[in-house]
Amino acid sequence: MAEELIPVVCPYCGVGCRLYIKTVDGYPVGIEYATDLEGISNEKGKLCPKGNAVIEYLLAKDRLKKPLKAKEQGKFVEISWSEAIKEVAERLKTYAKDDPNQLMFFGSARTFNEPNYLIQKLARMLGTNNVDHCARLCHAPTVSGLKAVFGAGAMTNTYKDIEEANVILIIGHNYAETHPVGFRYVLKAKERGAKVIVADPRFTRTAWFADIFLQNYPGTDIALINGLIHVIIKEKLYDARFVRERCVGFDELVKAVEKFTPEYVERITGVPADLIVDAARTFATAGKGVITWAMGLTQHTHGHDNVRLLGTLSAICGYQGREGCGCAPMRGQNNVQGACDMAALPNVFPGYQAVTDPEKRKFFEEFWGVELSGEVGLTVIEAAHAIDEGKVKAYYVMGENPVISDANANHVIKALQKLEFMVVQDIVPTPTMEFADIVLPAAAMLENEGSLTNTERRVQWSFPAVKPPGEARPDWWILSEVGKAVGFDRDGSKGFRYNDAADVLREINACTPQYRGITPERLKANLAGILWPCPSPDHPGTRVLYKERFLTPDGKAHLAAVDYRGPVELPDEEYPFILTTHRYVGMYHTLTMTGRSEALVKRWKEPLAEIHPDDAAKLGIKRGEWIKIETRRGVYPIRAKVTRAVKKGVIAVPWHWAANVLTNDALDPVAKIPETKACACRVAKISEEEAKRLMEKLPQIIPRIEVVKG
Amino acid sequence: MAKKTIFIDFSKCIECRACEVACEREHNGMSFINVFEWQEMAAMALNCRHCETAPCVEVCPTNALYRDEDGAVILAPQRCIGCLMCGIVCPFGIPELDLINKIMAKCDLCAHRRKEGKEPACVATCPTDALIFGDFTEIQRRRREKFAEKAIEVAKKAEKISLLGV
Repeated sequence: MAEELIPVVCPYCGVGCRLYIKTVDGYPVGIEYATDLEGISNEKGKLCPKGNAVIEYLLAKDRLKKPLKAKEQGKFVEISWSEAIKEVAERLKTYAKDDPNQLMFFGSARTFNEPNYLIQKLARMLGTNNVDHCARLCHAPTVSGLKAVFGAGAMTNTYKDIEEANVILIIGHNYAETHPVGFRYVLKAKERGAKVIVADPRFTRTAWFADIFLQNYPGTDIALINGLIHVIIKEKLYDARFVRERCVGFDELVKAVEKFTPEYVERITGVPADLIVDAARTFATAGKGVITWAMGLTQHTHGHDNVRLLGTLSAICGYQGREGCGCAPMRGQNNVQGACDMAALPNVFPGYQAVTDPEKRKFFEEFWGVELSGEVGLTVIEAAHAIDEGKVKAYYVMGENPVISDANANHVIKALQKLEFMVVQDIVPTPTMEFADIVLPAAAMLENEGSLTNTERRVQWSFPAVKPPGEARPDWWILSEVGKAVGFDRDGSKGFRYNDAADVLREINACTPQYRGITPERLKANLAGILWPCPSPDHPGTRVLYKERFLTPDGKAHLAAVDYRGPVELPDEEYPFILTTHRYVGMYHTLTMTGRSEALVKRWKEPLAEIHPDDAAKLGIKRGEWIKIETRRGVYPIRAKVTRAVKKGVIAVPWHWAANVLTNDALDPVAKIPETKACACRVAKISEEEAKRLMEKLPQIIPRIEVVKG
Repeated sequence: MAKKTIFIDFSKCIECRACEVACEREHNGMSFINVFEWQEMAAMALNCRHCETAPCVEVCPTNALYRDEDGAVILAPQRCIGCLMCGIVCPFGIPELDLINKIMAKCDLCAHRRKEGKEPACVATCPTDALIFGDFTEIQRRRREKFAEKAIEVAKKAEKISLLGV
C-alpha cells in the first residue's frame, strides 16, 4: 500500500490547473493542491468546485470497459479490441477508396494534443480534410478573427498580464463562473486599483465585481464595441503612434464608426449613452488594458466580426505587445487551444499552416509520405447538413457529444440517424452513442498521459494517475492501432507505429513550428510547462506575443471596419422574447463528467430559466413554476427563476441539460459557428405533468446503453 | 483561543462553492462550510467560528466538545450522545446531526490536514482568497496596513496634482 501523489492537469476548463491525484496502487483516494509549484496557471494550487470533485467521474459505474458493436440502434454486443479495430479500419478504407470526403472526423478538446494530432493525420492521410472539433462551437471566431487582425488565433498574453493590467474589459464572459480560478487574477488586479468593465446581457457573478456594468441586449455586441471605438476616436484617446506605426485600416475604421454615437448605440443595445462614454474613457486612458471574452461574444452569426472589433479596440489603444496588456479569449476546455494547434480543423495543417498553401502541403506530403487534399474540409455543423444531402456517410467521433453540444439538436439527431457508419470513442455512454455502430472505450484524461495546451498557450504534461477500467485504452493507442490497420503501418512520421504518447509529441515537434522546442523531456522536467511559440529546444517560451511585429504578412495589425449586424432571428409577434444561453460554475458542458459527480449534481441539480419580474407577472409565472420555452426548432420544459439579472424581453437558459434543442444553427459566414447565444422564443406556463411529458422527448443526458448477449 | 482561524472576506466570494465540495471530499460526504447568496448580488461562505467563548463547549453535557492544541473546537465522537444541545445554543446554527452515526458533526478545521502542516481544504482551494487561514490579530493588522497604504497613495496623488498645478 504505497500512497503516491501524481501531478496531473485538471481535465475541465481552459485554465489548465495543476493538481496532484493521491493514489493507492493505482486507485484514486483523494487529491492534493499543488501549493509547491511555482509559475503554474493556478497560483497556490487553487481549484474550483469541478477540480475538487475530479476523481468522482473516474469512478462512475457506467464507465465503458469493452468495445461494443451495435446490433440495432442503441443495442450493443461486446466485441474484442482486435475485432473492433479491424471493423473500423475496413469500413474507413472502403469509404476512402470510394470518396474520402464521405468521411468526417471529430477531434476533441477533451483529450491530449497527441490523439488530436493523430486523428487529423489519419483523416488527411485517408485523403480528406473533413476534420473538426468543438472549438467550432466555441472559439472558432476567436481563431479566425484574431488571425485576421493580428495573424495568429490565440491569447496574446497570459494570466500574469491580467493581474498586471490597469483596466480589464470582460465582454460576453461570465468569468467568475466559467473560469473561477482565472478570475482570481481579475480580483488581484482590482485590489491593486484596476478598473473592471463588464458587458453582458445578464447581471452575472462577474458583474458583481464591475466598476462599470454595460447590460446590452444579446447579439448587439458590434454596436456596443463600435460605440466604444467611436468615443475613443472622437475624444482622441487612442494611441496615435501605435496606430501610425503598427496598424493599417484606421481611416476606414474612422468612417465605419462615425454613426455609432453613444445615443445611437443606446437605442440598439439598451446601454445608457453616458455609461458607454464612461467605459470608453476608462478603458482608453488606463495605460495598460486587457480584454477578455468567451462564448457570449463568439456564439453569434457575427462572432468573427465581434472578435475582429475587439482586436481593433485593443490595437488602437496600443494595448498590444506589452506586459499587462492584450487580448485574452478564455477557452472552455483544457485542451481546446491544443486541439486547434494540432489542426483538428478542416482548413489547416498542424501549426495553422493552410491546406490551400501548395508549399505547406508539399512539406506534409513529404512528411507523411502520401498525397494530400488541398480542398478545405467540412465543419461540425456543415457536416450535419452534408449528411442530409448524402455527401457524408460516416463519422468518427472521438470524445464529443454533438447531440447535446450542437445547435438545433433535433436536426443533429435526425442527421445522425441517416449515417451509414459511426464510431464513437468515449469514456462513458453519451446520447450520441445511441447512434453508433462501433463504440471504443477510452481511458479518461487522468488515466492517460500526454501534453495539454491551456488558454495561455501553456503546454503542460499530465502524468497517468489512475488505472483505466476494464479494457479502456488511451486515445493515442486506439488511433495508432486504427492507423496501422488501415494500412499506414510504417515507421517514423510516415506511419502510425508509436510506443507511447511522447513518441507522438516528438513527431509534432518536427512538423509544428510553434511546438518545435516543446519536447516531452522538457515538459516532464518542468511541471509549469512552456508557452508557445517555442522555436527551439533551448528557447524559454513566449509570454507576450507581437512585441515587435504582428504575424500578418505585412507585420501590421489589420483594423476591422464593420457595420452593425444583429442576431439573424429577432423577436416578432409570434416569438416575442430573445433567448440566450449560459452555464453554471459546477456543471460542465454536456454533463458527461459533472453529471456523474455526486458532489456537483447535489449542488447544481437542475437548470432554471431566468425571466424578468415584469415579463413573469404578465405571463403569470412565479418562481419555481414550470414553463415551456418554444422556438422555431424545438420545445424545452424548465422551471422559472424570476430575477432582475436579465432585461425585460430576455430569457436566459443554462445549456447543459440539452437546451440546444432550442438554439439556432444559422452560421457565421467566416467562422461557421452557430448562433447559440441569441434567437427568438416564446414562453408559456405549463403544468408539471406536461413538463414531464415534454422532458421525455429530450435527449437523455445520461443514457443507459443496453448491452445484449451474442 | 484558536491560534489560527478562517477569516471570511465576503467581498471576494464568487459563490463557486469550491469550499463546500472540498470540505465534503475531506469529511466523508458531509460539508461543514456553506455558501449563502444575498439577493443575487453578493455571497458569503460560513463555517464554524471556533468561538473564543464557545457556548457549544460550555453546554456539552458529556465534554464531547473540546479545544485541540491549535485552539480549534473539536468533537470527540466516542463521547457525543447526539443531544443537539450544542446545535441549539450555537448562534450560527453550525453543529449538525450526523444521522448515520447518531452523533453531532461540525467543522474541525481539517485536523488531519493541519497535522501535515497544510491549510484546511476550503481555504486551500478558495480560488479568490475569500477564505484566509491565519492568526486573526495578524490578519487584522495586514488589513489595516493595506487600508493605510491606499489612503497614503490617494493623499500623495492629490499632493502631486496640486504640485503640478492642475
